[in-house]
Amino acid sequence: MIPTQWYLLLSAGVFCIGLFGILTRKNALIFLMSVELMLNAANINLVAFSQQWGNLNGQVFALFTMALAAAEVAVGLGIILVLYRNFEDIDVTSPTTMRW
Amino acid sequence: MNRPRLATNLNLAAGVAALGLFAVMALVFVGAEFTDPNGFASGASIMEGIGYALFDLTGQFDVRPGEGIPSTESFLLAFELIDVVLVAALVGSIMLARRESDDSLRKTLTDGGRDEE
Repeated sequence: MIPTQWYLLLSAGVFCIGLFGILTRKNALIFLMSVELMLNAANINLVAFSQQWGNLNGQVFALFTMALAAAEVAVGLGIILVLYRNFEDIDVTSPTTMRW
Repeated sequence: MNRPRLATNLNLAAGVAALGLFAVMALVFVGAEFTDPNGFASGASIMEGIGYALFDLTGQFDVRPGEGIPSTESFLLAFELIDVVLVAALVGSIMLARRESDDSLRKTLTDGGRDEE
């Protein structure tokens, strides 16, 4: 059986790829995809610890996280649509009036 | 022709922070000590267990680790809550995406209060 550390390492890699995307890009769609990567890194951890303890709770949590991610993408796409309508661009740095 | 291109306008200085975080996390995780994974019994039905957990049916079956269905808890309330959240998100996104003829109020709400051009 694969030790849990390797799953954690995989999850850290996926999480940091998502973080890299968020920190380096300005495109709102790539932001959404990067957030998905970070959420899926959390899912890997949940499933890995589910296996570590022989308990199904982690897998059920992962299912709930996926549902939350779907809700987040639905709202995110709506926001991107409005962003494009108002700014003719989906650069996340262009809307500045709601920053604070 | 429109085709994917390698992005050249990256803010790489900020990206170094992500690489640094990965280095720290990798160091911690590789050095972490865990017992051997318990895992699930070879004949355990994972999908059945998840289904029973989601619909609060665990009490109606003899649920013990290693005897068919792995141990779980009840998630019926969380299941219903996530249902409400999903519907709210879908309705919210449709509201955001809808194009109206007189959308002065919606525009004020969604354009960050910019002045009308």
